Formats: sequence, structure tokens, C-alpha cells
Amino acid sequence: MMQMTMDELTVGQKGAVKAINAPKQLKRRLMDMGFTKGVGVEVVKLAPMGDPMEVSLRGYHLCLRKAEARAIELR
Amino acid sequence: MQTIALIGNPNCGKTTLFNTLTGTTAYVGNWPGVTVEKKEGLVNGHRILDLPGIYSLSPYSPEEKLSRRYILDEQPDLIIDVIDATNLERSLYLTTQLAELGRPLLLALNMEDLLEKEGIRIDARRLSQMTGCPVVQISASKGTGINALLEEIERSLEQKKLPMQPLFSNFIERYITTIIEDDYLHQIPKGRQMRWAAIKLLEADELFLSSMPAPPQAFQTYIEQARKELVEHYDDDVQAIIIDQRYKVAEHIAKDCQVRTKKAKQFNFDNLATSKFGAIPLFIAIMAAVFYLSIGLVGGYTTGWLESFFAFASVHIQTLADAMQVHPLLSGILVDGIIAGVGAVLTFVPQLFVLFLLLSILEDCGYMARIAFIMDRLMRSMGLSGKSIIPLVIGTGCSVPAIMSSRTIEHQKQRELTVIVTPFIPCGAKMPVFALMLTYFFPGKWFIAPLIYLLGILAVIITGLLARALDKHKETNAFILELPRYQIPAAKNVWLQTKDRTLGFIQKAGTIILLSSVIIYLLSSYSFTLQAVDAESSMLAILGRLISPLLAPLGFGFWQASVALLTGIAAKESIVSTLSVTIGTASLGSFFTPDTALSYMTFILLSSPCIAAISAMFKELGSKRKLLFAVLWQTGFAYVAALIIRSATLLLL
Ligand SMILES: Nc1nc2c(ncn2[C@@H]2O[C@H](COP(=O)(O)OP(=O)(O)OP(=O)(O)O)[C@@H](O)[C@H]2O)c(=O)[nH]1
Ligand SMILES: [Mg+2]
Repeated sequence: MMQMTMDELTVGQKGAVKAINAPKQLKRRLMDMGFTKGVGVEVVKLAPMGDPMEVSLRGYHLCLRKAEARAIELR
Repeated sequence: MQTIALIGNPNCGKTTLFNTLTGTTAYVGNWPGVTVEKKEGLVNGHRILDLPGIYSLSPYSPEEKLSRRYILDEQPDLIIDVIDATNLERSLYLTTQLAELGRPLLLALNMEDLLEKEGIRIDARRLSQMTGCPVVQISASKGTGINALLEEIERSLEQKKLPMQPLFSNFIERYITTIIEDDYLHQIPKGRQMRWAAIKLLEADELFLSSMPAPPQAFQTYIEQARKELVEHYDDDVQAIIIDQRYKVAEHIAKDCQVRTKKAKQFNFDNLATSKFGAIPLFIAIMAAVFYLSIGLVGGYTTGWLESFFAFASVHIQTLADAMQVHPLLSGILVDGIIAGVGAVLTFVPQLFVLFLLLSILEDCGYMARIAFIMDRLMRSMGLSGKSIIPLVIGTGCSVPAIMSSRTIEHQKQRELTVIVTPFIPCGAKMPVFALMLTYFFPGKWFIAPLIYLLGILAVIITGLLARALDKHKETNAFILELPRYQIPAAKNVWLQTKDRTLGFIQKAGTIILLSSVIIYLLSSYSFTLQAVDAESSMLAILGRLISPLLAPLGFGFWQASVALLTGIAAKESIVSTLSVTIGTASLGSFFTPDTALSYMTFILLSSPCIAAISAMFKELGSKRKLLFAVLWQTGFAYVAALIIRSATLLLL
């Protein structure tokens, strides 16, 4: 089966986090912000030049670059 | 005296609460990372500390390290965990970490005023039961619940009750219990909780391990076995497992204590502010409007009026002084020194007031973080981060807070680059000299003022591109930024910030500028043998001529211009006051020509900033060598740019 990562979501699409594949520091950082297993995420917006992206999770909004979003694997 | 620390996520209102409790005016703004230094105050005879916001106790940027170090090392008598009540779940994640520190904990549920609008209800009693902490609902900006909070602070300081420990799943708790029972745990630092230490051991936290003696072999084997079993069971690394468990606790508490009736509605302004084609033009339009309103519109009305006022005052004081037969030295100090110098600066108070007002509205409404969002891509291509735009915008008011705000940029190189380029953006204190020159030499040519800002931006871009081209590693790093909600700026915040900054400017006029005007007047009236002489043979002229040859290629190689630049190091407003003491604002034309005026402005715009900004740069760069490089780069850049601008205008005019 194909793996889906968060940067592939289009605006308005939702997903649930399956795993984070990133170096330790970035992984901790993302998890501290609430990207833990099973949490629901939704892409709210893309910046004018298509990157970074705004996502909502746990009732708040966060922006991150697509490079980081790629580390977040969805199911 | 007991110590209270305000801890919480970024942008949850800690500083607003600190200001309310202590009656001070610390810097408040609606984006994460406004506070970068710890700030102390007094409340009811207790020491209270405002700290930078953190999402967790594992820090990523320098200002977060400060907070972590503070709460781990200093052991405050009470931690007030400030929680944005509209963001309960994520805030509780930090709470689960604070609860393990072995300090009394008080939860302040802030932003209570927004709950109804957001359709959220929170059961504070239940929250208190589940966490074992007292809970107070407050609104720091509206001032509600503050008395209840003060009472609860006293009670907590007295009772010293520790919070309940968040419990993880049974599988993990088994290991924690076993570890706690081991004798080795008695060697943990004083004041620490066993449970906290056990978790740190499982996580293999480097900082903690390095503070402990080596464990006995059997115990070490047990820990390693435990880690291995955890990793196998959860299929993840131990640190991730613990974070996951903490969030589960947070979710559980939030679910039990909070009802969300309706979903928060979509922002409307945001659709425009971050739209594909509208976003960047809108940003430019907003910044242009800020300058047009403050410098153009307001300045147009008030500057002339204030100038005539000071002219009027000096004529009459002079007449009065002559009538009273005051010694010419005294009347000279007063009229040609103080009134000329300080007056020239005070003329700009209304403009700066409006500029500061508009900037603080911008800072409090939630737009700043969006600018970082929309500009990140562009900034990245210059080796900067989206977060670098925040210092650049703040820098239009004053470079000092702007340079400090770069501390939230995690990546060291990007942070240092931001510090170096921020002074290229003309601050409010440089405005007077531009306004003076522009109205004198280019009346009616409105388009030159925006070109000055453009030139500043160009300097940022060129420096960024060069730095990027020279950087061999080209590493990129994470850009993760919470986007706060939009809000109508809190009138109290906006007023306090504006007042504070405007008074700061006036105060500078009454101190540094006053002093330097008097000194400049005296130095320009006497020779080294203390004879009253005309300006051309004064001490000041001789001193100024020491450096003026260096500036001759730029077209302003006369001593008055050099001296003004030198006093500009104390404060940039001094340039105007010095020029008006030594030349007199009315006779600028006999010294400058349009092309040298342009090159003078260019040099002032880009050369090294005032001493306050230089020391802010030193603080952020952290090394004398880097500071020297920064100042040389800025001044060298200014020199070359002024040379180019002058040659270009000479060719064109
Ligand atoms: N509606 C509402 N807004 C508030 C309240 N308290 C603070 N704010 C706003 O929240 C924003 C952040 O406030 P700050 O006091 O700067 O937050 P902070 O926690 O110090 O933030 P950092 O220094 O970045 O960690 C500002 O725009 C305040 O006006 C409140 O009780 N109600
Ligand atoms: Mg703050």
C-alpha cells in the first residue's frame, strides 16, 4: 500500500497521524506540538507560494513547511 | 521573600497577566515568542517572574532554554501555569510536565472572556480535582478573576500542596514503580521528585544522566531491559512513548472538563490576508498605509506647527534673556543648544506617536504571525526564515526590541543573519533626519520617502543573498509556528505600549539629546584654549575634521556632517539636533546639495545603528568578533551604497 504523508493533503482534507519519520530533534518538536499517533489533522490553507502550509489539530492552528509535513505519515 | 514563576505556552497571556499583577508595561503582542527575557516584578510582596513561553520542557530556541533552566534550577515557591482556556488540551500537555517538578502548581485559566464566543465551557472544579491543583478562571486583559487569583496565590504559597502526578498506562507504570523503589534514586538532586527522575532515566535524558553518578551494574541492566521492552511493546522510541502518554493524559482531562458546543468559525479577514494573489500586496499596502498615516499625513500637519512653536519660543527667550542681561554663554546654551537641538527632535513626537500606535495595533491583532506565514518562502530564498520578517516589521519602530525578537528563530545562522540585517530597516529615530532632508531638498517629491525604505529592504535582500551564496552547507531547518487567533487589539495593551514607546522617545530627548546638544554647543563655541571662537576654529570643528576626509568621497566631507554622524551613535535623533545646533536647519542648503543630501541619508540609513541597538546585537550574536563583523558590514555597505547613490544622482541630475 502507498504511504500518505501530510504534505500530500490538499486544502480541506483531513487525516490521522500514523507515525513521524524524522530525526530525533524534529520528531520531538512535532510531537511536542501535538502530532502524536492517531491525532486528527486538517489542512486549512497553503501560503501564497504553496509552502508553508497551515494545519489545524487539537483545536488550534499551526504552520509548518512542506518539508516537515513530509515527515508526518498519515493513515 | 517567596518567588512565583509564570509559565505557559507562548501567547497564552503571561505578560498581560504580569502587567496586570505588577502594574508594569512589559512587551505584549499577539504572536508566539514576544517575551524573550525573564522579567521580575513584585506582587503582594512576593517576587514574580514573567518568562518566555514554552510548549514543553525540552527547549529548541535560546529563549526557551532560559525558561527551562529557570524552572529546573531555581525552584520557584509557586508555579503559575497560565493556560489559554480556548486551547486547553495542548496547554495541559505542558501541565503534565510541570506537575512532576515537585513545586506547588496553580492553574490560571486565562482568556475566560473568549470562551462563550468560541462555544467552550470548562468545568474548573473538575479540572482541579483531576489535576490536584487549584484552578482560577481569569481574563488578564479584561482584569476579571484577578482578586480570586491573588487569594489563591496566598493560599498556595501557604499550603505548599503538590499537584497530582499524571499517570501513564499500566505497562509503563510497572517500570516506573520498580525504578522508584531502587536505592539509586535516592541520589537524585535535592528537590526533585522520584517519579520525575524515573521517567528521565527511561527517556535516557542526557542532561539528567550527566548530573547523576553512574548507576550500579544490575540497575543499569534493568533500565536497559525496560527501555527495550517499551520500544518493542509500543514500536516507538521511549521519548516518543512518553510524549504520547502525556498527550493521552491531557486528552483525557480535557475531554472530561470541557464541552465544545460549536466549532470555532472561520476567520474572514484571513481569507484575504493569506490569499494566493492578495496576501503580499496587502502586506505591502498595510505597511505603506502605516507610514503614510504617521509620517505623511500626521507629520504634514504637526511638523510645521511645532517648528513655528519652537522658533517662536527661541525668539522670545532670546529677547527675554537679552533684557535680563543673561550671560551670552547661558542664553546660547539655552537657545542655540537646548531649544534648537531638543526642539528639532521633539517636533517629531506626533509622528512617532502615530507610528507606534499603528505598530502596536498590528502587533496585537494577530497579523504578525501571518506575515511570517506568507513571507516564509521568499525569506527562505534569502537564507532567512519566515520568522525573520517579524523583527523587520518591529524594526520600523525601534531596532532594539526588533533585534531581541529574533531570538525565537531556532536556527543559529538564520538568527544571526536576521540580527545583522534588522538595523537596515530605518527605525523611528532615523525618521527625523530623513524628514528634515526631504522637506528641505525635495519638497513635493513624495516618492523619495518610500524609496528610502525600499533601499533598506534591498540591503536586507543583498546581504541575505550573499550570505546564502557563501554558506557552504545550505542546510534548511524547521519552520514551525503557531498561528494565533485574530482579535480586536486590546485597547489597554495598545495604549500602554504606545505610551511607553512615545514617552521613551521624549525621555531620550530630555536626557541624551539634551546633554549632547549642550556639549555640541559648547564644543562648537570654544577652542581648545577655551577661547570663545567662531565655529570654524572650535574644538568640534577640529575633532570633526579628523574623520571628514574619510567621508569626502561621499560628498559630505565637512566637519558638521561628520560630528552629527558621530553623535548619531549615541542616538540617531542626535543627528538632527547636532545639525541644527551646528548648521541651523534653515541653512542646510549652504552645506548640502540634493545629491549629497541623498548620499548622507543613504549612509545614515544603512550604517551601524545606535549604541543601544549595537549592544542588543552584541547580546544576540554573543561574540565580539561577530559584532565587529556586523558593524563593519553595515558601515561598509552604507559607504558603498552612498557612493553609488551619489554618483548615480550626479549622472542623472
Ligand atoms: N481576549 C483576551 N486576550 C488576551 C487575554 N490575555 C492576553 N490576551 C492577548 O493575548 C495575546 C498574547 O498576550 P501576551 O501577554 O503577550 O502573551 P505571552 O504569554 O506573554 O506570550 P509570549 O511572551 O509570546 O510567550 C495578546 O494579544 C493579548 O492581548 C485575555 O484574558 N483575553
Ligand atoms: Mg510574554
